[in-house]
Amino acid sequence: MPTKIETRLGTIRIERRLTYSRLASAATTLTAFLLSLLVVAVILRVIGLDPARAFAVIGEVFLVPRLLSESVKQSIPICLSALGLAIAFKMNYWNIGAEGQIYMGMIAATGVVLLHAYYNLFHESMLLPLMTIASFILGGAWCLITGILKAKLNVNEILTTLMLNYVAILLVDYLVHGPWRDPKGYGFPLSIEFPDQAKLQFLFGSPACTGLLVAVVAAALVFCVLDYTRLGFEIKVVGQSLRVARYAGMNVSKIILLGSFLSGGLAGVGGLSIVSGIIGRLRPGASPGYGYTAIIVASLAGLNPWLVVAASIFFGGLLTAGGALQASMNIPRAATQMIQAIIFLFILVGEFLKRYRIVFERGGRT
Amino acid sequence: MIEWLESALHLTVQMGTVYLLASLGEIYAERSGILNLGLEGMMIMGAALSFIFTLAYGHLAAIIASIAAGVLMSLILAVMAIRMRLNQVVTGLALTMLGLGLSGFLASPEIRRGILLTLNPNIPEKLLGIQQAPTLPEYPIPILSEIPLVGEAFFHHNPLVYASYAAAPLMWYILFKTRLGLSLRSVGEDPAAADSLGVNVFLVRYLATMISGGFAGLAGAYLFLGFQPFWNEGMTAGKGFIALSLVILSTWNPLRAILGAYLFGGIETLQFRLQLMGWKAQSPYFLAMLPYLVAIITLTLISLENVRKRIGVPASLGVPYSREE
Amino acid sequence: MEPLVKLRGIVKRFPGVVANDRVDFKLRRGEVHALLGENGAGKTTLMNILYGLYQPNEGEIYVKGRKVRLRSPRDAIDLGIGMVHQNFRLIEPHTVLENIILGLREPGIRIDFERHAERIRLLAEKYGWRIDPWMRVWQLSAGEKQQVELLKILYRGADILILDEPTSVLTPHETRMLFKALRRMAGEGKGVIFITHKLGEVMEISDRVTVMRRGRVVVTKSTKETSPEELAYYMVGRSATLDFGGVEFAPGEVVAEVIDLEALSDKGVPALRKVSLAVRSGEILGIAGVSGNGQVELAEVIVGLRKATGGKVIISGIDATNKSTREIIELGVAYIPPESVRWGIIPEMRVVDNLFLKAYRYPPYSSKLILNWGRMFEKAEELVKEYEIVTPSVHAKARSLSGGNLQRLVLARELSGLIGEGIPKLIVAAYPTKGLDVRATNFVHKTLLRYRRLGAGILFISEDLDEIMMLSDRIAVMFEGRITGLLERGKADKEKLGLLMSETAPS
Repeated sequence: MPTKIETRLGTIRIERRLTYSRLASAATTLTAFLLSLLVVAVILRVIGLDPARAFAVIGEVFLVPRLLSESVKQSIPICLSALGLAIAFKMNYWNIGAEGQIYMGMIAATGVVLLHAYYNLFHESMLLPLMTIASFILGGAWCLITGILKAKLNVNEILTTLMLNYVAILLVDYLVHGPWRDPKGYGFPLSIEFPDQAKLQFLFGSPACTGLLVAVVAAALVFCVLDYTRLGFEIKVVGQSLRVARYAGMNVSKIILLGSFLSGGLAGVGGLSIVSGIIGRLRPGASPGYGYTAIIVASLAGLNPWLVVAASIFFGGLLTAGGALQASMNIPRAATQMIQAIIFLFILVGEFLKRYRIVFERGGRT
Repeated sequence: MIEWLESALHLTVQMGTVYLLASLGEIYAERSGILNLGLEGMMIMGAALSFIFTLAYGHLAAIIASIAAGVLMSLILAVMAIRMRLNQVVTGLALTMLGLGLSGFLASPEIRRGILLTLNPNIPEKLLGIQQAPTLPEYPIPILSEIPLVGEAFFHHNPLVYASYAAAPLMWYILFKTRLGLSLRSVGEDPAAADSLGVNVFLVRYLATMISGGFAGLAGAYLFLGFQPFWNEGMTAGKGFIALSLVILSTWNPLRAILGAYLFGGIETLQFRLQLMGWKAQSPYFLAMLPYLVAIITLTLISLENVRKRIGVPASLGVPYSREE
Repeated sequence: MEPLVKLRGIVKRFPGVVANDRVDFKLRRGEVHALLGENGAGKTTLMNILYGLYQPNEGEIYVKGRKVRLRSPRDAIDLGIGMVHQNFRLIEPHTVLENIILGLREPGIRIDFERHAERIRLLAEKYGWRIDPWMRVWQLSAGEKQQVELLKILYRGADILILDEPTSVLTPHETRMLFKALRRMAGEGKGVIFITHKLGEVMEISDRVTVMRRGRVVVTKSTKETSPEELAYYMVGRSATLDFGGVEFAPGEVVAEVIDLEALSDKGVPALRKVSLAVRSGEILGIAGVSGNGQVELAEVIVGLRKATGGKVIISGIDATNKSTREIIELGVAYIPPESVRWGIIPEMRVVDNLFLKAYRYPPYSSKLILNWGRMFEKAEELVKEYEIVTPSVHAKARSLSGGNLQRLVLARELSGLIGEGIPKLIVAAYPTKGLDVRATNFVHKTLLRYRRLGAGILFISEDLDEIMMLSDRIAVMFEGRITGLLERGKADKEKLGLLMSETAPS
């Protein structure tokens, strides 16, 4: 029997939709998006700022090459983490620890650079490959800890992944204030600057182009894993129903462990893209919440890897726009975070409308 | 030495109160099945509004405004998570982001100036540019505050701290001894069972969520007015998430939250003190990790099979309810 | 005398289904009124309407002579209606006391726990129950939980009691106690509605009986004036003893055997106590019994979903005790789980995904790592035709299929030999026809018989004695985790089975 849910709110009923066309779905999202911009405009107007000008500044971010390249650069860590989250969320594994996994990835990448700088253990052409592997493993391991707790003891992963974020952030604080501080850095809590071979700019010497290549490759990989491999199929089944997965003879623990490792690993590489693509060294607070933005991006993209890339660039653009808004209109940077949140909340409500139908009924009928 | 200890304990209670206030509300939300990850955002909105409203109208208005802001934000969460059955994690985090953004936006010097002038056209010019506000005055309690150690630690504070002393036992009482509390706990364990007995699941969850928002706003106001009266963008600095771990440590019990709050407050005090005493600069970072690690360990322990039956995570935490068969 | 409840012309539609079609129903004071029907006949829907959980699309409800509108259980409770749901609605970590007084409307904020505890104790004693109000619910047995459910209602002073299949989890002793208490309640002038699909219970407890079929009321009769045979006829609309005919019995060698098998239930109490059975190829071994007597646990241990705590499972001569589900699948064991629509299907995934839920990991449908969707789609199209699964396409989400078609899908997945070569060696089918309409039920029966002919060994678990007697070559009866009897085809009749289902066999 098809499910039908009835709730009453006065004479309003909320019913589950059985079908919703793609076109209607896209239209709903677009409407939600436009409405959110309207709300932002109203807020700006009330405050006494010119919304049209603000939107023009934001629009420029995607049109002026220099700003666009900056936006793309900003979007890479978001994109990689969100791709990882797409895997986790498909598995119904609520990893909200991408931020921490990013930080662990940065630690791994920086560690490899320091090994090279201090001990010269390997050739510098090996730097980037080793950094990538190390950041993937450490980021993955960070998420794997919560995966083990989930798989073996059924510990709620939402809370553990969240808590581990702060542990990772503090670990970075410790390292750059302590053992990894640049001896020639005048006491600032910074690591040494990465050598060029450790920077993510092998394509045309541009971090944006290189990053975009990495992001697209990663998206393709995630797409293939989810849709064309046994693991991907298993991840989706586990995400839908643990019980059915067990019944089908799947090794649920193993799948959760693998899935959480992959998810954290991608965020770890996201961390790498920050230290070697954006900053060029490790410093405290190196990620201004990319890991959280990634959660938004992953859900906005409906966990579709290709849409993740697009949504990331949009949010990377918003981050970049923050600086431009401040410079040209004296709008505080925090405004962009606010705009992000408002857009997201509206699109979430749009998701609700896609899944449910609101039926208005005249009173008196039973 | 006594003096040193006294001031350390004083600071412990001061810091602990932030966590206590925030976690009291969150305990209610989670007991009813709603994970309010917007806590951080609601706290910082409370802090920002208490800053602005103190300058415009004074402390009382500031506290009221902060609570109202928290309640309002939690209402958004409630509608989205309860009525629309959207994912609580995502919605909560979006609200945290909204709070961080909106607070930074409203309290930034440029915007704040306009708001202050709208709120109170007669505001003195010198208040328009400053980054701080007067703290809540401390009222030492006669006699009690004279007791060595204890007096300074517990009875030499501002009214919000005293309010928290009363709030924790009161919240415990309501939760475990009253009809509302029973409904609230039941709704978080098994909403279908509660519904079949005529408990209004939605109403209870709305109420619990809004209580959590109100307390979060209050915690933010206290953080700013009682303790750290300089406006700083993002000044809550993850304190909302520490409060979340405190909720776990307390195993969703308001009385145990008191102990946990002062434990966390103590850990934070220790970080400052060690730094002052010239310990290595890095030691505070490991201390700062403790609350989070403690929460993970607690969570692991209560997930063990035979413990779970007695004090587990509320069984329907994070699960939207609908009357479906 | 005025009836306690009068339902008139109740219509309830769900998308695509009419669950209640112009139903009339009356409940008198002081009667136990059985509401009889097969699964899916609309009994529970009707009662959910009377309890305010569903809103009817049409029709009128009168309670104690007054026309009412029930918007929620709250309204129903206020009118003195109480319902015990089929699955207990108890909050396990809470005390009995807290469960009973939850939602009670009383003046004052504080709860006077002591006073309530005393009153509950007294109330329980009145019906011969011994319940400690301070116990946590998870510490109680199924029978005691049921008593708590009833206390919840009685404590609210309800005089209209609805019990939805209340005996399905009870032991015979507990059932007898329940019936005694129900009699007593009726004696006090309360009205009891007793939903069931078991004829024996109807005859034993009820004063009147209403039979429902496919959402409609077929008949309402005084129990004294009817017989089980007549009721069965009303219930299924056909002679209850269908015969497939021409099923000659030529069993082969043993394909699966369990020896002294022991296992725990989900609640950690022994569910299987030294069960020994053997299934031969080409035979259907029926497992009869009231559900909840270890049948599902038996099935789950065999297919590797539940740990055996003692004894052995041998499949095709190989010791398969506590092997993983996957290893057991690879031994050629197919499993149709109970409520397979819920526990064997992923509604949000496509038909093709659901068909390959198990076979996706074996060649030719995948290599070590990569899935071969081309082969899967090809095969899926074939299966949809072969098993007559009605679906817009193999790309459609399983959610859009009807229950009968989903069961066909499960059969296709389990039986069509997607894994390994040929047909499965052992088929474990747990309640495969529960909740299906007659057509779908027939399909399941025919399919099982076909595989029996092809030489599979079939372990067939059902509550429906007619079905069991019709299909099985041998019938084992389970009661309280034991096999209480094993009867050959033709030597089993309902009386014998009924006896074995409720009493411990001479050991």
